[in-house]
This record gives sequence, C-alpha cells and structure tokens, in this order.
Amino acid sequence: MENSNGQVVQASGVSRRFGEGAAAVDALVDVSTAFDRGRFTAIMGPSGSGKSTLMHILAGLDKPTAGTVVLDGQEITSLDDTELTKLRRDKLGFVFQFFNLLPVLTAEENLVLPLSIAGRKPDQAWLDQLVDTVGLGDRRTHRPSELSGGQQQRVAVARALVSKPTVVFADEPTGNLDSKASSDVLRLLRHAVDDFGQTVIMVTHDPAAAAHADRLITLRDGRIVHDGAPGSADEVIELMKTID
Amino acid sequence: MTSLALKSLWARKVRALTTMLAVVIGVAFVAGTYILTDTTFAAFDEIFEDSLAKTDVVISAKDEVRQESGEVPSFGADLLPKVKQVRGVSVAAGQIFTPGGFFDEENEQIGSKFAPKFITSILPEALETQTYTEGRLPRDASEAALDQDAAEEAGLGLGDTLKLASVERVAAYRIVGLTRLGDASWGGASIAGLVLPEAQRITGKRGEFDQIAIAAAGVSEATLKQRVERVVPSSVLVETAKQNAERNSDQIREDIGFLRIALLVFAFVALFVGAFLIFNTFSITVAQRIREFGMLRTLGASRRQILSSVVIEALAIGLLGALVGLLAGYGIAVGLNALFVAIGIDLPTTALVTKDRTIVVSLLIGIGVTLVSSFIPALRSTRVPPIAALLAIELPHSRRRGLVTAAAAVLLGVAGLAMLLAGLFGGADGGAAAGLMGGGAVVVILGVSLFSPRLVRPLASVAGKPLEIARRLTGRLARENTQRNPARTAVTAAALMIGLAVVVFVTVFAAGIKSSIATAVDESFQGELVIQNSDGFSPISPRTAPAAARVSGVELVSSLRAAQAKLLDGGGGKPRVSSLSRNADAVLNIDWTDGGPETLRRLTDGEAILNKSFADGNDLALGDRVRFLTQIGAKPELEVVGEFEDKAGLLGSVIVTQGLMARQFDQRDDLIDFVKLTPGADAARVQASLAALMKRDFPVAEVRNQQELKENQEEQINQLLGLIYALLGLAVIVSLFGIANTLALSIHERTRELGMLRAIGMSRRQVRTMIRYEAVITALIGALLGMVLGVIFAALIAQPLKDEGFALSYPVGTLVALLVFAAIAGVLAAIAPARRASRLNVLESLQYE
Ligand SMILES: Nc1ncnc2c1ncn2[C@@H]1O[C@H](COP(=O)(O)OP(=O)(O)OP(=O)(O)O)[C@@H](O)[C@H]1O
Ligand SMILES: [Mg+2]
Repeated sequence: MENSNGQVVQASGVSRRFGEGAAAVDALVDVSTAFDRGRFTAIMGPSGSGKSTLMHILAGLDKPTAGTVVLDGQEITSLDDTELTKLRRDKLGFVFQFFNLLPVLTAEENLVLPLSIAGRKPDQAWLDQLVDTVGLGDRRTHRPSELSGGQQQRVAVARALVSKPTVVFADEPTGNLDSKASSDVLRLLRHAVDDFGQTVIMVTHDPAAAAHADRLITLRDGRIVHDGAPGSADEVIELMKTID
Repeated sequence: MTSLALKSLWARKVRALTTMLAVVIGVAFVAGTYILTDTTFAAFDEIFEDSLAKTDVVISAKDEVRQESGEVPSFGADLLPKVKQVRGVSVAAGQIFTPGGFFDEENEQIGSKFAPKFITSILPEALETQTYTEGRLPRDASEAALDQDAAEEAGLGLGDTLKLASVERVAAYRIVGLTRLGDASWGGASIAGLVLPEAQRITGKRGEFDQIAIAAAGVSEATLKQRVERVVPSSVLVETAKQNAERNSDQIREDIGFLRIALLVFAFVALFVGAFLIFNTFSITVAQRIREFGMLRTLGASRRQILSSVVIEALAIGLLGALVGLLAGYGIAVGLNALFVAIGIDLPTTALVTKDRTIVVSLLIGIGVTLVSSFIPALRSTRVPPIAALLAIELPHSRRRGLVTAAAAVLLGVAGLAMLLAGLFGGADGGAAAGLMGGGAVVVILGVSLFSPRLVRPLASVAGKPLEIARRLTGRLARENTQRNPARTAVTAAALMIGLAVVVFVTVFAAGIKSSIATAVDESFQGELVIQNSDGFSPISPRTAPAAARVSGVELVSSLRAAQAKLLDGGGGKPRVSSLSRNADAVLNIDWTDGGPETLRRLTDGEAILNKSFADGNDLALGDRVRFLTQIGAKPELEVVGEFEDKAGLLGSVIVTQGLMARQFDQRDDLIDFVKLTPGADAARVQASLAALMKRDFPVAEVRNQQELKENQEEQINQLLGLIYALLGLAVIVSLFGIANTLALSIHERTRELGMLRAIGMSRRQVRTMIRYEAVITALIGALLGMVLGVIFAALIAQPLKDEGFALSYPVGTLVALLVFAAIAGVLAAIAPARRASRLNVLESLQYE
C-alpha cells in the first residue's frame, strides 16, 4: 500500500452553504478533486475563499450540503459520531494553528496521545525515529509551556504522524511561526511525505510554505481556480497576484 | 455600570442560577427553621389558650424543679370546697392531667412511643373546652372519651375498647365519645377523658388533683386570683388563665428551643458551603472576564466602576436568591416537620407562621452571604490592568502573596484550634463554650481551605491513582486537570470537605457513644435483665419489682428511682438524684472511689453519695454538706459520705436513700428495675414470662436483656444520626452543585482543547469519563480533607469526656463507605457537565474563542 499511487481522498460535487435565505453564504461551490497517496498538497486562496471549509469537509469535521467525500475507499459524509471518531483514530492526523498540545502532558506524552487515546502501544523504534526527526532530544519530558512555538508545532506534526494515518490535515500549521521555525515544520512535513510515504493536505497563506508542496490548489469564492505544481515561492506569489 | 452588570449576569444565566441556588438553599433552610419553629410555638400557644378558654383562674402545685419525665406534683382535693366558697367563683372543678400509656384491646401501644399522652378527667360543661364530634361524655367508670385524631390514627371508634395505663395500674374502657379542641393539630400527642373519680383512681391520685380550674362570676381574673390566693396554702400556685398559658408556653420554648438552634446550626453549615460555591464562581468568572475588564479600563472605566459592576451582580444574585429562598422556606418547613415525624418527634402544628423577623433575617443573610463571598473576587477584578485587553494574561500570582496566604492559613488554623481548646477546657458555661468551639471549628476550616491549594497536588495524585491504573489516559488527564488550577479545585473540594467534616465528626462521635455505652453496660450490670418504661425515661410502678421477683427463675429484683433537683449554694444545672434498693450491689457494679458497698448499705436519710465528676465540678469532698431544692420545694441538707465513678450514666450525680427520695423528692416510682436470675435459670424463658407479666399487669413497662438494652440505646443514637445526616444532606447537595459549577466553568475554558482531543480521536465516552473522573477526584480530595478534620474534631472534643468513660472508636467501615459515597456524589455532580463536554461540536470547539 505504501507506494501505490492510488487516490486516497476524492471529493465529488462538494458544496457547502452556511445560513439560509438572503444571508446564506456559499463557502464551497461544486468542488470536485482527488488527492493521491504519498503526495503533499497545499491549498491557498484569499481569506474567506473556503480553504478551511474544504479541509474540514475532507476530514469529516464538517458535512457538505451537497456532494460526497470518499476517504480511503469509505464514504464519510454520512458517518455518525462513533464512526467518525474511529475514522479520526485510524486514518487521520491533524495539525492546527494554535492549541495543538495539552498543557498538562509532557512533549512525549503529547506526541503519543493519539495512540494513548486509542489504547494502543507505540512502536518504540518508530517513536525513537519520530523524536529524532522532530529534534526533540532531551526535551521529551518538558511541558509545552517550556517549549518554543516552533518546537511545539514540530511536536504537533510528529503527533499527527505517530499513528501512521492515511492523511495528515494541517490548517495553517506555520501561521503563528517565524520563518526559521516555519521552515523547520515544513521540512518535517516534506520529510514525512518523502521518507514515510505520508499523504499531507495543508492549508496555508504563506507562498514559501506552498513551495514545499508537490501540488498547489487555489480557491476563490469557493471554487478551485488553479490546480498544478507550485514551483518556487516567487512563482506562487505571482500566481496569487493573478487570483486576488 | 448597573445595566452592564445585569446584562453580563444575563449572559451568564446558567452560572448565575447555580450560584443563586447556593443562596436559595441556605436561605430556605434558615427561613424554614424559623417558619417551622414559630408555627410549632404558635400551635402550642393555641392549644394552651384553647384549653383554658372558659377558665379564669388555675390552681396547680408548685413545680420547683421541672422533671425530665414531665410529671408534675398533685395536691390534696380538700382544697376545692374552700375555693368554691370564695366570693366571685362561679364554677370550680378539680382536674386530673397525668401522662400515661394508651393501648388497644390486645395491649398494643397506640400511637408513637415517645409522643405525650394524657389521662384527664372531664370537666363540668361550664369549664370544658373540648367538643364532642361523635358520641357523648363518659358517665361512669367504664367509659372513656378519646381525641378524634388519636382514634382515627389507631382505627378506633365508638364502642371499641381503649386501655389506659398509668404508672400505677391499667384498666379497660369503652369509648363513648370522640373529642376535639380548637384548630391546631396536636401532632403525636393524644388525650383521653374519664369521669373524675375514675381518673383519680387509675392515676393513683385518689383524693388529689393535678389542678383546679375556676370560672369567675362578675369579677376580673386578677381580683379572683387574689381572693383565691388568700385561702390556699403556699405549696400551690394560683394563676390567671393567661398567666398559666404563658408559663406553659415559656416552658415549651425552653424545652424545644434547642430545636431551633440545632436547625440553625445545620442551616449555617449549608450557608457556609454555599459561600464557597459563590466565592469560586465569582473567582472563575472574574478570571475569565479579564480581557473584558481590561477593555473597559482602556475605554476609561475606573477601578471603582469595575468593582461596582461585580458587586451589583452579587447583589442581584443575593437578593433574588434570598427571595426565592424565603419562598422555598415554606417547603423546607413542611419537609423538616415530615422528617421529625418520621423519627417519632410529632409536634403540634397549625397554619404556617411567617414573622417579619423571618423575612428580614432571610433577606439579610441571602444578600450578606453573597456580598461577603464575592468580595475578594470583586476586589481582584479591580486589579486588571488595561493592557489585559490586548494580551492573554492571567492575574498575577506573586510568590510573596503565596507566602502571605500560607502564613494566614497557618495563623487561622492555630487561632481556630486555640478557640476550640478554650471552648473545651476554658471552663466557660454551656452556650459560650459551644460558641467558642463552633467558631473555632469554622476558623480552622477557613484556615484549612486557605492552605488546601497546596494540598491539591499530592491529594489529587493519591485520589487519582486508582483511576489512572484503571483507565490509564482518561484517569491521567482527569488528575492533571484537577491539578491545573489548584486554588479552584481546593475551594470546590473545600465545600464538600465542610459537609463531610461534620458528617465524619458526628459519625465518629456517635460510634464512640455507642461503644462506650456497650462497654458500660457490660461492665456495670451483673443483673441479666432490666425492666423500664417503654419510652425509656418515664417511671414505672413500684409494684413491678415485687411482682417480677415472684416469677420463677428470678433471684432478686433491685430498683432505681430518680428525680431532678437543684443544687443550692452552688453551680446551676439540674443534677439527677438516684436512690437504690438495699440489694443494689447484687446487680450493679459500682465503681467506688471513696467508700464501698457497705457505704450504700448503711446510707442514712441525712447522707448522700456523689458522682466523682459532679463532686469535682462543684468542689465537694467527703464530709461536706450539700443542700438540694426538690420538685416539691423541700430543701434536704445532706452529708457527703462516699464517691463513685459512673461510666454507664445510670446513677446520675447523687445517690440518696429510698426513704428520702419518697419524702423529700416526692418520687415513689421506679425508673429501672434490675433483675438477677437464679443460677442456671434459662434467661430467655424467664424473660418471656416477665414480658407476659408486664403485658398483662404493667403495659407501660418493658423487659430488656443486656443486648436489647444496648440495641435500644444504639437505635436511638442511629435515629438521631439519621436525622443529622438528612439535615446535612442539604449542605452536601450545595457542595455537589459547586463541583458541577466549577466543572462546567472549566470545560467552558477548555473548549478548544476538548475540540482538539476529539479531533485526534477521543470518543465522546472518553470525554465523559475524563470529566467524571475530574469530579470524582475533586470529591475525594474534599472527602479526605473532611475526614481528617472530622476525626480531629471528634478526638479533641472527646478529650474532656475521657474521665466519664467516653472512648472514641473509629468506624472504619463507615468511613470507607463515606469515601465511596463521595466518589458516587462526584459522578452525580459530573453528569450534566460531562454530557455537555461530550456533546461539543468538534469543529465549533476548535474555532472557539
Ligand atoms: N460556521 C460558519 N457560519 C457561517 N459562515 C461561515 C462559517 N464558517 C465559514 N463561513 C463562511 O464561509 C466562507 C469560507 O470560510 P473559510 O473559513 O473556509 O475561509 P478560509 O479560506 O479558511 O479563510 P481564512 O484564510 O480567513 O481562514 C467565509 O465567507 C466565511 O465567512
Ligand atoms: Mg481558514
């Protein structure tokens, strides 16, 4: 499975409307796309273009008003809470912009949290490898408040990887970081895709972040307006100018 | 600022409601106590007034020292002719009004054992105030009237048999009339009417009256009273009907006034617990509103304005809570009465009485408690700097302040302990000592609460251990969450701690009493059986003992009589004076500290033997002379010839001869008869034949073996314990609301975190479990602290009682059960918050600001 390049996520005709009547907002309009296994996709677009909404629907956190999402062969828009919980445990990893870590647990405990929640034992070799990649070193037993923002976010990425999910979703994972810390986090994601065959879908505002991806999807007013390789950061900036 | 305060209150309805509930419950308890006791007193007043409605002047024997049994002396009937000749007397009649036992045809007791029942003589129509709802007046010695409520309760009607038993004798009557007096319900009390000669015969008062009722003709009550006074001896008391009713109602207030105080103590506990809840809610709310306060400050709001906005919120909550509490007080009054009835205290009732004082006190307490408890959080709100609007800051916890708090906590603890000890050993009298001890306990509790944030970490680790082992991650997270904000957890736990400290104190103390009684019974009784009034405190006929002695298998019967007297030239109180048969040493193991069995055998009418603690307490020694005032006004002077210790509390403070007891103390009836069996007799068989004898001839008496004696005492203590637990229940409920409230507020703070946990795979069930465990750990912290405090209080207060043979015993089983109970209570408190947390929408929580 690791290297087969099948499509792990397929969205067909996905629309999402918030509210009703005159005040209704169409956050997504008939979006269809698919994501290949082992690829790193960035989603960009102006504020309010529907990036987060798309990601939430792909991850089963929100339901579309129309259309379907198939994740790893399973239709997910009609799942109930128990099934979605199981889906999140087994197949999904998340990295958020803030509040990724539990302040009461140590870095390492936070890292293995998805496994603890699922009642599974971490594979020690895999764990060591992750800790090593993250560069946590002697800070394994520190609490999040004793880590820098970049370190915290790298732990969050490692946590998303620890259960070897089908897809990792990241919503502006570098939105809060300076450029050095950002590039550490992005290199970590890139590394996961290249070396562990991880599928990653990332929403970002940062052209430099998008440049780390294999594929760039651009949204405007809830529709996909561009889909292709990102090229360099400067090329991404040029592209974004044409969209705005 | 007022409208801002009220708006913000409205925006936080749920927490405002729970906070208000704390006020409501405490105030309702206070209001209910006043309403209930005022109503009871009013009912008694009504009964006394109703029964004297046609009477203008009352003559009764002087009752110098009121007896625990409630018996009053009678006086000679030869007074009546003299009274009748007084000018202005229209009608005068002698009356019998004596406590007795009521039984049905099968000699089964009617109504509650403890409720007062009176055998009375019917009065001439000109004086009688009871009306006949059915049937007619008794006409001869075979007929009786019974009050309607008692008849209904027992399922008796006209033509049925009613057996009445006085201390002296028992007889059967046919019920010919059912009566009623006024509108007040008598509660458990009941009254039977006989023709006068029969009433005198059955109560053993031939030629005697309990009182004479007089109706005036053409003169005022006061004038008639003066005229009557001139013809009667000084041993009797002449009162106007009004004076008599007032004296009776004063006595009732004295007798059951403690009830009001006891209930108010429990109400105070509930209020105290509520204060913790209010404090905590306000603290958390202020902490959560830091940004808002900061924003207001940047807009130019002064500290004072911020303060007043919080104070106005508190005022609104306090006022509303007090008003609702006052209304709920009526429910509490009814509920408390039902609780009393359930344990056999069935007091008279009438329409519920609300005095202005009840309203004023309720409002003051409700508003006062809320203001005081929210004061510190309100002050903290003024410390928010404007910059807080821009930064996610927390109010500073300086290290220095931590130290100051710790020092204050220790100081409070020490001061509270000092007060407790001063109350215990300082020699202050009853009320002041109790006040000191109660105040000391409160101060100690405040000290412990102030210090307890430091104890939260270790205690949570201990309490959380089993949960962590059972449910690794959720247990672990729950424990960590309770340790996150130790001050908050500590205050929440402290609320439960208070209730539990009192529960544990009472439980440990009661266990001590039970085991002390058991030891004392084992040590001091050699006789195998005792005969007592079934109510445990009224006397039985002196003919019981000789009759019992004739039963086969009985070697001898020894009797103890008792009366309350006043010690003249000395301290207050009403020591119990006992007298023993000469053969007492065959059944009782008296622990002599001065003298021995021969002292008792050779005791003369001019001598007394004293209980050592009574002698020490009044600085009396061998050879001293003591004087007592007795119920009939006699003042015997006695020489102290011996001293004893009495762990069983049987012998009272003083022992005198049976002769002196009869003549000077007017006591000729037995309190307890001790039965010694012939060696080799079958105890069970003898007890059965004695029981049969009692049932036939002395139905008020009951035979008990040592085991039953202990069980009977235990049962009474257990009933009292049950009542106390029920009364503490309200305080515990308030503390559970406190746990629920704190949880709800911290869940609110942790919304995003909970969303994140759900996003990475935590199930609803796991979220529920985690929250539930947080509640359980908080409850267990409270329970552990409460237990330690309760045990310490019990141990301290037991200290001065050691001399009297009181030994503490620790009911480990019960204490463990209480821990389990606390854990279950935690689970209950967590139901609503856990549900809410688990139902949070993952996406919305993640985006929550
Ligand atoms: N819960 C909601 N209720 C109503 N409207 C919503 C809701 N969530 C999103 N929207 C609207 O849907 C549109 C898309 O929002 P979305 O959050 O997906 O944008 P985004 O591309 O992530 O923007 P940003 O870059 O600012 O994060 C916006 O117009 C937004 O106002
Ligand atoms: Mg977004």
